[in-house]
Amino acid sequence: MTVSGKDSFLNHIASKLGRERIYDVQRPDLQALAPDSYGSLTADELIEMLKEQCFFIHTQVIESNAEILQQTLDDLVAANGGGSVITSGDARFAEYGLEFANASVWEEAAGREQNILRSEAANTAIVFADYALAESGTVVVESRPDQGRALHFLPAHYIAVIEKKRIMLRSTRAAADLNRRIQAGELLGSSINFISGPSNSADIEMKLVVGVHGPLRAAYVLI
Amino acid sequence: MSLQTDKREFNERTTDGIGNPFMRNAVSSAQDSLKTRRLTAAASLGDWEQWRTLGQQIRQHTLKHLDYYLGQLADNIEKKGGHIYFAKTKEEASDYIRDIIVKKKAKKIVKSKSMVTEEIEMNHVLMEAGCELIETDLGEYILQMDDWDPPSHIVAPALHKDRTQIQSVFTEKLGYTGDESPENLARFARTVLRQKFLEADVGITGCNFAVANLGAINLVTNEGNGDLTAAIPKTHIAVMGMERIVPTLEEMEVLDNLLCRSAVGQKLTSYISVIGPSASGETDGPEDFHLVVVDNGRSDILGSEFNEALQCIRCGACLNVCPVYRHIGGHAYGSIYPGPIGAVITPLLGGYDDYKELPFASSLCAACTDVCPVKIPLHEQLILHRQKIVKEKRTGAVERLQMKTAGRLLSSRVLFGKALRFANPASRLLSRHGRIVRGPELVRGWINTRDLSQPVKQQDSFRAWLDKRKGGAGQ
Repeated sequence: MTVSGKDSFLNHIASKLGRERIYDVQRPDLQALAPDSYGSLTADELIEMLKEQCFFIHTQVIESNAEILQQTLDDLVAANGGGSVITSGDARFAEYGLEFANASVWEEAAGREQNILRSEAANTAIVFADYALAESGTVVVESRPDQGRALHFLPAHYIAVIEKKRIMLRSTRAAADLNRRIQAGELLGSSINFISGPSNSADIEMKLVVGVHGPLRAAYVLI
Repeated sequence: MSLQTDKREFNERTTDGIGNPFMRNAVSSAQDSLKTRRLTAAASLGDWEQWRTLGQQIRQHTLKHLDYYLGQLADNIEKKGGHIYFAKTKEEASDYIRDIIVKKKAKKIVKSKSMVTEEIEMNHVLMEAGCELIETDLGEYILQMDDWDPPSHIVAPALHKDRTQIQSVFTEKLGYTGDESPENLARFARTVLRQKFLEADVGITGCNFAVANLGAINLVTNEGNGDLTAAIPKTHIAVMGMERIVPTLEEMEVLDNLLCRSAVGQKLTSYISVIGPSASGETDGPEDFHLVVVDNGRSDILGSEFNEALQCIRCGACLNVCPVYRHIGGHAYGSIYPGPIGAVITPLLGGYDDYKELPFASSLCAACTDVCPVKIPLHEQLILHRQKIVKEKRTGAVERLQMKTAGRLLSSRVLFGKALRFANPASRLLSRHGRIVRGPELVRGWINTRDLSQPVKQQDSFRAWLDKRKGGAGQ
């Protein structure tokens, strides 16, 4: 862990700004400045907004519930062509009593190489969302020892289970909550991913092509 | 590649662009489509002007306190076990990166799109050091396979190529045997690049914004290649221009929303990530994380009359509305930064010796200023450049003489009146069928691409007509 050339670099910047270095800055209060473009919405309206947006980002949304969640996920895995499944080690898999045939779990004990190989070999990844953002059709997931980064990007298909209580209007709220945790001194995962559907590209004649690098298909299951 | 992508004269480059109907067609349809998508995405958010003001304020606040936020970033990266290196020049930046690669005995490098790494000529340095370096953004990969053809747009680098050209590049360079459909070409690239990710020793990314209070970087992509680059190799090197920083995730969120909507008309792109050195217990991500903060001329812009150019968030919206870019295309700018923002920042980073023509590649219609999500007064900055270029006498002697003459003529009522009186007879030798067809350089520059009508005879002029009506209004 090194920092190289910091002081001379920052002193130079300060001199270009016509002053000495400063060591304390009050950042402006953004909450007061950010427009409220949507007003207050009910939980049902947020769900409708999420479903509508997912249509535009090529992401399937399925409404389920705790009782039939296993069946819903099994059906989705089958619709993806079966094959192997990898899940995160999220405690909610056990809480909802979920189990999958031909499955592996991202786990600290498996180490880097094994976890990456398992993810690459898996046809479907299943995770739980930390937040879901209705406006953009986004799930937010944080890396942890039981949920690596590559888990979201290597398998061919991606399923995120969204508990309805975790749906919020838009990224402003998620960012504010994450920042509150940072300022409270909480250690966040090294990677926070805002994922809005499958991988896509428009690099060839501006034509949208799904699945250039990450998942070819994405689905959200609401419970 | 470096900041400069083409060493030919500006006129040669623009002639090439104007004479390339495929490129012009591709650029204009991309402009139309991106413009429409941007408008839709902006409207759906509501209060767009207020969001722009907020974006502007965030950028100005951060620039004003840049030393503080970079210091905070450094402290937080260090706390997380990462390394941060402050590079004053492009050579310092590239040398530092090469030293890491050599120390690690790394041979295979995957890279996600980054303009600042082009600016510091990093690819060239690493390939000279014997590394295999693969661009993983699909557009950039296509360009790399086509012998490092330069990019032509900030967010759609391979915009100037059609599917047949791409098919031919893949066939020739990679043994592709499929058809020319974008789906199959992309799927083929996926298979090839997936293997590269898995084999890579080092991943190199750019950085949309560094987040000071978190000690992390933010990547905004649609393909997910940036995430794979940062997730799989054991070493991650991120490179950022020193001004690309925000105080917290809250400011990042505002700018990412402005960026996604302005660049590609999406509310958020598919993948927005905030990443840093791997935390304890995590098994992927970088065991060794380096952030290289690059000055390379930016500090000379800071606090100058061009300070607002540093607000740029590289969305490319100004390109998508620019009538000049529409006609000459990205390559004509001869810089990795094309379009209106390129015409402002390229001369600042690369100097007037090589780029004095760029500020004149603008109609000054101000469409770029109107569209900029962080309110950079682009057309005003272009005028400022022009003033400096003229003041430094960098325009040609003939042009200066012509401008001086025109200035005298236009600022004197008497001279201007006389010139109008003689304009028609004087232009007869230069005209055919009522249009001027030859003339000095200033006139030639106009008639090469537009019509210039022959001035009317004195007796037919508006002034003569008005003089006749004086005192006889209502006749």
